Amino acid sequence: MGTPILQASGVSKRFGPVMALTGVDFRVEAGEIHALLGINGAGKSTFIKILSGIIQKDSGSIRIAGKNVHFRGPNDAIGAGIATVQQHPELVPDMSGLDNIFLGRESAGRSLFARVDRQALEKRAKALLARFSVPLDLSKPVAQMPAVEREAVAVLQAIASDDIKVLILDEPTSTLTEVEREDLFRLMRQLRAQGISMIYITHQLEEVFAIADSFSVFRNGTCVARMSVEEARRQDQSLATLMLGEEIGDVFPARPEGLEIGETVLSLKGFGSAGAFRNIHLEARKGEVVGIFGLVGSGAEELAKAVYGVQPAEEGEMVLKGRTLAPKSPREALDAGIFLVPGDRRTEGLTLTRSPLFNVPLANLKRASGGGWMLRRRQVRQDASEITRAMALHPPSLTTAASDFSGGNQQKLVLAKGLYREADLYIFVEPTVGVDIGARAKIYALIRELSLRAAVIVFSSDCDEVNGVADRTIAMHKGRQVDPGPEGFTRDQLLMAGIMGELHA
Amino acid sequence: MKLLSPLPSIWGRALVFLLLVVLVAAGFTIAEPRYLSHASLSGIARHMAANGLAALGLTFVVVVRKFDLSIAGVAAFTAMTMGAVIAAGYPLWAAVAIGIVTGGLIGMVSGVAISRFGMPDIVTTIATGSVCAGLAFLYTGGRSIFQNFFTSGITDLNDARFLGLGVSLWFLVAVYAAAWFVMHRTRTGHAFYAAGENPVAAHYSGIQVKNYVVLAYVLCAVCTVLAVLLILAESGNAETNKGANLMMPAYAGVFLGAAMMAGTSVLATFAGILLITMLLDGFSLLGVPYYYSDGVVSLILLMGVVAFSGFARNWASSFAVFFRGSGRTNNKREWQE
Repeated sequence: MGTPILQASGVSKRFGPVMALTGVDFRVEAGEIHALLGINGAGKSTFIKILSGIIQKDSGSIRIAGKNVHFRGPNDAIGAGIATVQQHPELVPDMSGLDNIFLGRESAGRSLFARVDRQALEKRAKALLARFSVPLDLSKPVAQMPAVEREAVAVLQAIASDDIKVLILDEPTSTLTEVEREDLFRLMRQLRAQGISMIYITHQLEEVFAIADSFSVFRNGTCVARMSVEEARRQDQSLATLMLGEEIGDVFPARPEGLEIGETVLSLKGFGSAGAFRNIHLEARKGEVVGIFGLVGSGAEELAKAVYGVQPAEEGEMVLKGRTLAPKSPREALDAGIFLVPGDRRTEGLTLTRSPLFNVPLANLKRASGGGWMLRRRQVRQDASEITRAMALHPPSLTTAASDFSGGNQQKLVLAKGLYREADLYIFVEPTVGVDIGARAKIYALIRELSLRAAVIVFSSDCDEVNGVADRTIAMHKGRQVDPGPEGFTRDQLLMAGIMGELHA
Repeated sequence: MKLLSPLPSIWGRALVFLLLVVLVAAGFTIAEPRYLSHASLSGIARHMAANGLAALGLTFVVVVRKFDLSIAGVAAFTAMTMGAVIAAGYPLWAAVAIGIVTGGLIGMVSGVAISRFGMPDIVTTIATGSVCAGLAFLYTGGRSIFQNFFTSGITDLNDARFLGLGVSLWFLVAVYAAAWFVMHRTRTGHAFYAAGENPVAAHYSGIQVKNYVVLAYVLCAVCTVLAVLLILAESGNAETNKGANLMMPAYAGVFLGAAMMAGTSVLATFAGILLITMLLDGFSLLGVPYYYSDGVVSLILLMGVVAFSGFARNWASSFAVFFRGSGRTNNKREWQE
């Protein structure tokens, strides 16, 4: 083994009174894919921000190919050969994919008026795209692209710079489907073959074995383990144990014994919406969790939004607790007793600038004002504190801005909104995207708890999640519903049904 | 976990505000001792009432993250409308009612165009404002209206006193108290802020975001009408340029207040407009022409916003790097993933 392409020694960083990183030792060998693991708050993001020059370390050293480097800003990092794809890539929404990729380096000329050679750009883009087997229309404005394509544009943007030695990918798969994830992995292998090393952050532990050569585990602001995947496999090492520092049980809660399936809360008959989904027949009953597995484009998310009145369905019938209903807005759905925990909690779920105290009662201001006009502030505080305490919100603060909570705890806040609403039907869309394994178990437990007193439907593009959390599963493929046989789906059948649209492959 | 407290707490901010009030008052008193005279102070109170009402209206619009540039036009048109009603011999209350309804309708047009039809707020309100400014000439072709003003009782709004203070100031305090209650103690206010800060999440939470945008524009126009009413009462006639000087102080008051108090709120606007009115009246007492004093106040507005914003602090601290030679502090609090 030669000189590591990237070596950090004793890197520390303090934020106010809190040590975010203490003496991190970390290395990436040339031409390897290195997974970076750790629960939220373990210091991964801080470390990545130091590597990409967004923040500066307090002490310690970073060497690239043996040479000491010091980054004062993101440009220094890129100049040294480290490119980063952020978890939520910052793209210019109104510009095309092509323009985003070459933003700031459209021309070789240094003059302010240097000509932009569009043909050359398009040629370079095509060459880049050829290495990435996702069909992508780069002339489309980024705002019109689904999350998947935006991620692809961000990856292309990062590797479009010359001389990138290390590519950092911060949870790139969190918004991708399994098929697209395979495409991304293929690209990563190609990049590796070209000698680019990658640091890969993920919460999906099985991905580590699928793609990485080695991995490091962060816990409490320090790197507690570095291992090759080979070695971990040989020793049968549990990654979750390494991350948490303790043994954990199954993330999916067992179905409580004696739990009876109650009344039918929701039934859809021939439910359809042009171009999204058609002829959906579905029942959700109190006491059970229905899981719907669908990839992006399967119509699953559209179905969830139709039931919630965001994009009303055009065909078929929806019956909620015996009453026919056609909600034309979330307000009507809420009033009828439906609550949706949206997939994009940052834009659809929370007022990020505001505290839990502001967010929790938001979907039920009637309750917050005791049916009247004036808010009952003491009562709201008490209710919010009870709900958030029961779900172990961390930090247990009612006044911190929602943006300051981790992904998992933001999701708990959206759930708290739902609990405050007291609905009869809870719909979850991608409930654990960007949520670490510890918080994920808690959210699954909360979903299970909810099913005791309400009907629950979970929509997800994560097959294991649907299979693990639901009592009954259905797949969606290209707008069509794929039902299991009388035995129900096994995990593999569900995956097949969602990807291929049929049971047997 | 609030690790850094880069900005002072609300009490610190209130203290800074009081300090500024004292500084401004002291500065003008040194330059012109009459600043603290009874006549000057009651002038400040009267102007504060008119400016404060316009600024309060604008506050609603800023809370839903929009702009309203029709304030001057709405003021001119409703001033002439109320003047015409009074001149025609109808009682004062009828003039006020017609003024409020007219203003409310104009606000509704702007609000509906912006929220329902997705028109850009700035363009829309420039258009409605310009139309109103033109309509102001409808009644007299631009001549001043003063008939029946002294018999209608409108001047009492300016002259009458209660417990030693002008009734217009009491009126202002009452309207602000009501607005404070609605915006900060009721579900309507909660929904207002939610609709402004994240309209998508508010929509998902069952809040009728578009209605709140319309309501904000209606309230803004109605408050403008109330401000104009006080201006008519003070001057004793209606002219098409009444209210032309309402807009700049209103914006300055709302944004300076928001900068001082870390967010748009009814009390922040009150604090902002008090400072702005003290400045404007001080300058006019010193004989500074309005075109200079407007410039100075606008400059102060800009400096105030910059000095109090967290962004400016980060920006300033990036310069500190050159002097200390150490790493820049990053105030972004999102570091915990």
